Amino acid sequence: MTIIRRGTMTAAVMALGLTLAACGGSLTQDGSGKDDSDTIKLGMLTPLTGSSAAIGPHMKDGARLAVDEINAKGGIDGRKLSLTVEDEACDPKTAAAGAAKLVSAGVRISVGGYCSSATLPTLSIFEKAHIPMIIPAANSADLLAEQRRNVFLINGTGIQQAQAAAAFIKAGSSKGVALIDDNTSYSTDITKRTGDELGLLGVKVADHQSVTAGESDYSGAVNAVLGSKADFVYWTGYYQEGGLLIKQLRAAGYKGRIMVADGSVDGKLIEIAGKSNVQGVFATMTQTPQTIPGGEAWVATYKKKFGSEPGPYSTQAYDAVRVAAEAVRAAGSTDGQDVIEALEQIDGFEIFSGPLNFTLQHTLSVGGFDILVVEDDDFVLEK
Amino acid sequence: MNDESTLRAGEKPSVYVSAVEGRTPTNIAPSVTEAGASASSRTAVAELVSNSLASRCLGTGAAVAALALPLVSSSTYVIQIAVDALIFVMLAVGLNIVVGYCGLLDLGYAAFFAIGAYTSGLLSTRFGWPLVATVPVVVIAAIIAGLLIGGPTLRLRSDYLAIVTLGFGEIIRITANNLDFTGGPNGLYGIPDFGDFGLRADIALYWITAVVVIAAVLFSSRLGRGRIGRAWRFVREDEDAAEAMGIHTYRVKFAAYIAGAVFGGIAGVLFAAHQTAISPPSFNFLWSALILMAVVLGGMASTPGVVVGALMISLLPELLRGAENWRYLIFGLLLIVVMVFRPQGLLPAHPGEPRRRGRRAREGTS
Amino acid sequence: MNHLQLVLSGLFVGSFYALVALGYSMVYGIIKLLNFAHGDLYMVGAFAGFTVLSVGAGALGGGFVALIVIMIVAMIATGGFGMLLERVAYRPLRSAPRLSVLITAVGASFALEYGIAVAFGPTPEVYPVGVQDGTLHIANAQVTYAQLAMTAIAVVLMAALDTLVRTTRSGRAMRAISQDPKACLLMGVNVDRVISRTFFIGSALAGAAGVMAGAYYGKIDFLMGFVIGLKAFTAAVIGGIGNLRGAVLGAIVLGLLESFGVPTSAASGVTSSRSASSFSS
Repeated sequence: MTIIRRGTMTAAVMALGLTLAACGGSLTQDGSGKDDSDTIKLGMLTPLTGSSAAIGPHMKDGARLAVDEINAKGGIDGRKLSLTVEDEACDPKTAAAGAAKLVSAGVRISVGGYCSSATLPTLSIFEKAHIPMIIPAANSADLLAEQRRNVFLINGTGIQQAQAAAAFIKAGSSKGVALIDDNTSYSTDITKRTGDELGLLGVKVADHQSVTAGESDYSGAVNAVLGSKADFVYWTGYYQEGGLLIKQLRAAGYKGRIMVADGSVDGKLIEIAGKSNVQGVFATMTQTPQTIPGGEAWVATYKKKFGSEPGPYSTQAYDAVRVAAEAVRAAGSTDGQDVIEALEQIDGFEIFSGPLNFTLQHTLSVGGFDILVVEDDDFVLEK
Repeated sequence: MNDESTLRAGEKPSVYVSAVEGRTPTNIAPSVTEAGASASSRTAVAELVSNSLASRCLGTGAAVAALALPLVSSSTYVIQIAVDALIFVMLAVGLNIVVGYCGLLDLGYAAFFAIGAYTSGLLSTRFGWPLVATVPVVVIAAIIAGLLIGGPTLRLRSDYLAIVTLGFGEIIRITANNLDFTGGPNGLYGIPDFGDFGLRADIALYWITAVVVIAAVLFSSRLGRGRIGRAWRFVREDEDAAEAMGIHTYRVKFAAYIAGAVFGGIAGVLFAAHQTAISPPSFNFLWSALILMAVVLGGMASTPGVVVGALMISLLPELLRGAENWRYLIFGLLLIVVMVFRPQGLLPAHPGEPRRRGRRAREGTS
Repeated sequence: MNHLQLVLSGLFVGSFYALVALGYSMVYGIIKLLNFAHGDLYMVGAFAGFTVLSVGAGALGGGFVALIVIMIVAMIATGGFGMLLERVAYRPLRSAPRLSVLITAVGASFALEYGIAVAFGPTPEVYPVGVQDGTLHIANAQVTYAQLAMTAIAVVLMAALDTLVRTTRSGRAMRAISQDPKACLLMGVNVDRVISRTFFIGSALAGAAGVMAGAYYGKIDFLMGFVIGLKAFTAAVIGGIGNLRGAVLGAIVLGLLESFGVPTSAASGVTSSRSASSFSS
């Protein structure tokens, strides 16, 4: 018995070693040698499990649509694009392992990144492998704080969104604003910056609440908002909680204006909050297919291909792939350094949020935030 | 509180319905190890297995295999998840001291992990300390935290201890989430590593982690076999009897708790260096539960078992990565299946005193 | 700040927590198991109700009658699920170390959450019927009729449980088992069946709370059970775990604390350490 067990254990250890043994490489340098295969590998990290699992498929489908479109036109210089998607689960450890898996799979450009806190640990992994990152959704300023050259954000940043929000609130002459976030980094980033901006513009912030994502009852926050006499509520979290919050605010008799940030711009928000509660709710959002001319065709193609409406960040994921392809075309190679230079030099490439130019910090030169408003079942451009 | 609707908790919180079908009277083999002792046919097997596994050559083999991994495969992914797995082994071995050896149910172990990671992260990013220099501070911080939380709670019976530690774990996480100093929900980023020693950075870190973790595994296994380990087992089996035999049970439990805290803290330093960015979601209740699962799944108080359990809990979800939402469904079902078929863990510790090796054993003193 | 309003919403939320906390407390009282999958049974209840509602919405129509029919169906389904869970994941381990059962409980929690995620998709679902209603004004606070009705249903269920445990034969068996399962076996109590029944009742209550949450809040998703599971656990602990009336009291205290803006996760640590100390002596 002992011998058998010992044998199994040794075998198990060896099997572990062997199963883990994938592609070899050197111990002293990063193995990212030359790439002359006939496919250009793109990698995407997106939440497919965990609390944000609902977002992943939207981003995946958006990116897939762009890949298929580009490939149908013959690819880039005769090379086809391929897309590998890994789960980040909105969890830093899972995200880091996913990033390493993408690196090992030979991905040349990363076009993913949803949760900021999960994207942060992936930065150094991609940087060490000389892989440029075009981040479609995550937009915390912390991503840029270390000034890594390979990191590009194509979603408007928190500060751009905060400026758009503050300008709109100021124009609407509010007597007191209540800011509500959900305690995630994305959300607190926007409330904090909006508070700062409002301070500069001389608008009073009457209340600042943080709720816990994943709960259902927000009567504590709702009562506090009512008590603060705020007449403008800005919710900066996601649509799951946003829908409930709007419903409960209205049910409690809140009559003032409500605005939500881009994470809440989704058809489900209207469904959850109830159509009548959500009429006239504003949103800060980058341009979407619904708000730009010719966008209907894009939505129709998307629906035909995947059988569902595009969701949050479908467009940004779609754009991230197109930007990556454009950079490879301009650089004439998939070498990380060349692609980064090509990205920095992109001038006026059309994406959903407008013509693309990167600032020195690698963010969009124009945030492209518009104010949308809910009319019937849709978010439409506020005029 | 004597009203009739009360379903009263029994006098001994830890006697599960096992007593109903118990094949042994509870006063002989109570609480934690009862399964190991109850099925006598299994006892012989368990003894053989854990003896063979505790044998030096196997331990050495595993250590060598761990150290040699980068020579077999140096792909970024393999190294990444191997470091994750090793850190998880360290956590599981640390919690094993608390839960396995001493029988204290700790549901907030991730708190010490967080304290370690945040202390070294803060010192290295805000004050520019090299990461190695933060280790002594982390050890002190972990000990202080252990004293603060252990002081009032270690006098409690295990179930209440579990609940208090659960609360403590949440408090640490929520505090980190709400303080600006700790970076709020985004946490700390840009944490340096230990240096690359001319190697690829991740491989250098892998070897450092491997050495630390191997040392930790050896140390904890030694602790378990020494004088203090015997005291822990005694307290776990019967606290009152231990007290009567002159063991200062409170102090002994404290020792286990603090040792666990230090292991958790050092694992936190490794985690901070490995992730380069740490944030509160990494230290939630699920983590505490997963570490506990590794300990129980492998076999409480059995070092080889706990190592195997930790590798399983850490690597299985990674291997099931392609399965998306099926991933945790399969993981959950596997856990149930494994526990139903091996309730005492994969490689349980054999009950009773470990057999002494060497001179004294030959003289027949054991 | 309007204190009456805060008290009312605290009581309302507390009654939800209470329904879930009761199951936690019952299971713990009887077999000393922290059933970590209990919060997920609440989620399963919400999805069971959702399924019934989607399939048979036309036949049932709207309103409270439909809601109660759906709730009963969902309670039976969730109760059955709870029994199945006990049979498959907990009963085989009854003679095993107590912590092993904790592992299967966490495993069951994963399996339920992601089983639902696979079956219904990870996107939150919206309950096709909500309870729309008028509002009642009491002094300067307001309560919706839906809130009143939900609280009333919760109170009825709790009263029914209390009567069941206190006065019926099977309630007596439950109380007996919680004190000495071995003696019960000797006295000819069918312990397995009573434990099964306990799981059925506890899970059914959680299922009822799930349907109520679905109908009232309107949104359900596969992870909705996690947070409420932790809260119900806290409530059960505050009230003295194993004590049913205590669990209800604990839930209401928790609801009020939250409503007054105390960060409860932290509070739970403090309160639980307090209640724990009061138990240990």
